[in-house]
Amino acid sequence: MISALFYLQYHSIRNRLVQRFKRLRQPKYLFGAIVGGIYFYFYFFRYIFGVHGARHGVKLGANLGNAALYESLGAVVLFVVVLLAWIIPHQRGALAFTETEVAFLFPAPVSRRGLIHYKLLRSQTAILFTTLFLVLVTNRFGGHSWIRAAGWWLLLCTLNLHFIGSSFARTMLLERGISNWQRRLVTFLVLLGLGAWVVIWAGRTMPGRFPIDQLTNLADLEPLRQYLQQILTSGPMPYLLLPFRWVVRPYLAHDALTFLKALGPALLLMALHYWWVIRADVAFEEASVDASKRLAERVAALRAGNFRGRKTTFKRKRPPFELRPGGWPAIGLLWKNLISAGQAFTLRVWVVLAAMGFAIAAILRGTAAGSGFIPVVAMIALMLMVWLLLLGPQFLRQDFRQDLAQADLLKSYPLPGWQIALGELLAPATIMTGIELLLLGIGVALSAELPGNLRLNLGMRLNIGLGVACMLPMLNMLTLQIPNAAVLLLPAWFQAGKDSPQGIEATGQRLIFLLGSFIVFFLALIPATVGFAAVFVGVNMVLSQPIAFLAASLVAAAVLAIEVGLGVMLLGWLFERFDVSDSQA
Amino acid sequence: MIEVAGLTKAYGEFVAVNDLSFAVQSGQVMGLVGPNGAGKTTTLRCLSGIIPPSRGTIRICGFDLRTDSVKAKRELAFLNDEPRLFDYLTVEQHLAFVARIYGVQDFAAKAVPLLEELEIADKRNSLPGELSRGMKQKLAIACGLLHSPKVIYMDEPLTGLDPLGIRRMKDSILKRARDGAAIIISSHLLHLVQEICSHILILKQGRKVIDGTIAEIATRFSGRAGQLNLEELFFKATEEQGAAPEPPPVIGVPPG
Repeated sequence: MISALFYLQYHSIRNRLVQRFKRLRQPKYLFGAIVGGIYFYFYFFRYIFGVHGARHGVKLGANLGNAALYESLGAVVLFVVVLLAWIIPHQRGALAFTETEVAFLFPAPVSRRGLIHYKLLRSQTAILFTTLFLVLVTNRFGGHSWIRAAGWWLLLCTLNLHFIGSSFARTMLLERGISNWQRRLVTFLVLLGLGAWVVIWAGRTMPGRFPIDQLTNLADLEPLRQYLQQILTSGPMPYLLLPFRWVVRPYLAHDALTFLKALGPALLLMALHYWWVIRADVAFEEASVDASKRLAERVAALRAGNFRGRKTTFKRKRPPFELRPGGWPAIGLLWKNLISAGQAFTLRVWVVLAAMGFAIAAILRGTAAGSGFIPVVAMIALMLMVWLLLLGPQFLRQDFRQDLAQADLLKSYPLPGWQIALGELLAPATIMTGIELLLLGIGVALSAELPGNLRLNLGMRLNIGLGVACMLPMLNMLTLQIPNAAVLLLPAWFQAGKDSPQGIEATGQRLIFLLGSFIVFFLALIPATVGFAAVFVGVNMVLSQPIAFLAASLVAAAVLAIEVGLGVMLLGWLFERFDVSDSQA
Repeated sequence: MIEVAGLTKAYGEFVAVNDLSFAVQSGQVMGLVGPNGAGKTTTLRCLSGIIPPSRGTIRICGFDLRTDSVKAKRELAFLNDEPRLFDYLTVEQHLAFVARIYGVQDFAAKAVPLLEELEIADKRNSLPGELSRGMKQKLAIACGLLHSPKVIYMDEPLTGLDPLGIRRMKDSILKRARDGAAIIISSHLLHLVQEICSHILILKQGRKVIDGTIAEIATRFSGRAGQLNLEELFFKATEEQGAAPEPPPVIGVPPG
């Protein structure tokens, strides 16, 4: 059994690597790999190889006081992760096999324990790759690479075993009539009890040591650090977190000796987990078959460009407006894509965005000493507006990038290419413009007094706001045209479909696209900028600056509109010549 | 209604459809048959303007599909074997969207009977994800037929339909042919083709092997009209190994 697994793993990995090397003969993968390689080298690898000029980070465990704090903080994070494994899941214990593995292994004469061993060894591939990635990322902060690698591996293996063991335990509890909610209640009560113990201890041993004003002052984190260190390294917490500290301790070791000392308890804990999983007599086959289906759906979704990796379950959405049968067909495409966008813009998304905005404003208020809350909100709103203009098209994809899978349907419609192109661009442009106008409104309303004693009167702000508002729709159409043109010009480079590349070459391709998009966008801005500057200088000689800004903005918007019109015609021309069979070949 | 002359579609050096010419008149139903990889789907996709032909001309109701594509496409419908639907639009919204695209002014008057004819009227507020495979196929058909096309292409139109759906689909095809539509059906179901098609075109490796009425083809292969069924004709025309399968062994009742 084990030899068969090694055979499968060895040949799968080997064939995959050979395939990826072979496709480097195609320029799109070769360029992607080169750019991706350069990116990975400068961002990650040079810290491993210790090349001159590389940053030398702080050794996490070098200072004894800090080491204890970091270890405790790591243990808390691990504790939360483990706790979630006992609280959130509601399904029966399952080992996630692929559908092919289910088809081959489940009917085969393999014992349940053999299947668990297969799964454990199979998961090593993912764990090793994750370890490599995490070492690349965290090595920037200093320390020995091999200690980081071994530490991550131990941590991930133990977590993996714990997740399997806890899923088996859940199943056993369910079989004994203990429901998910009963299990959650008990877990919650235990957590509450432990929390109460810590709070009572802290109240008795550190009376008056909770200065809320000092602890929430983000400009000076030292009081918060000292308070946390006291809580985590004395009293009941070190004992409560002991197993979790054992697991994270090897990772934080600063030399070989401390690593070897930390290794024993971590290995013991891992061995106990292994014993727990192997001894569990739980029927996981049925749940595994369901899990394999979900896994296949998730993989299919990821490969289709759904970054959340979840099979999208669509909900009926109220149409944004009533679509009458007569009229301009492009509006039909706008209507359709707005319904599609409604799937993404749920109330939850807006609440999360609002919370994030509030949190950022609060942090900036703490760090930007002397500035009030309102101007900071204004600045954030305006920064978000610019950010949305530049990066919005990467997230709002209710255009050709979404509909390319239905290209044959669109091609069969009796519409000239430019109308389809316009219809496809309208939905994301409308959404972006709407959000940007909202942010602009907030910015204009709250920017009466900016940091640095800069004061803007209402007339000035209204003129500037109105000018920017005139340009925003055209700017959005322009930024959206670039990725859409890229998709139609180079469909094989587009990151979608079942054969979408992964790894270094995919990262390189995305970087090339992003860089190319920015260059094209800034080049496209040149005519409008020239027009804006000329009008602004001219009008400013006779009228006031705000009026000059408004007039210049109107001219720039007109220039942009001409560019957008030409761009739509070009996109339509590209779509008419777009060979569906090429993109699907 | 459909005039094809010298249609060729090549992917690099591979020629999927080679110098294909034929015509389908109003009221005719032509069966497009051939072995796997013969070029049937490529032909239909070229005929519907989804992929551009490498060479040749296609005229739909007198409009050149290359130079007058919008007018040509307004007259046709392509019903795929795999229903292509928008996951986030309901059944009714699909029809509203298609009505706007094709400018179907009397959309409401047409949509209701169409949904009833296809027996999905009670699913008008359902999303495609809530429909069975057959119902999705019916919705795709409804979308295709909403604008009363004069030219209809169908790629394996019975896939996913239940027996009653198959019967209704056959009736619907024949009714539309009687109403004057020119229809091309690509299918491996030779009995279906024989049952409802007035003409046959057999493709092999992208080339036309033969076309005409079944009687004409039978006469050319055997010299006797109406003596051969389409399955035999198909194997003769494509020179495939099509020996009749061995009868299954008789399962006897064990004594005692």
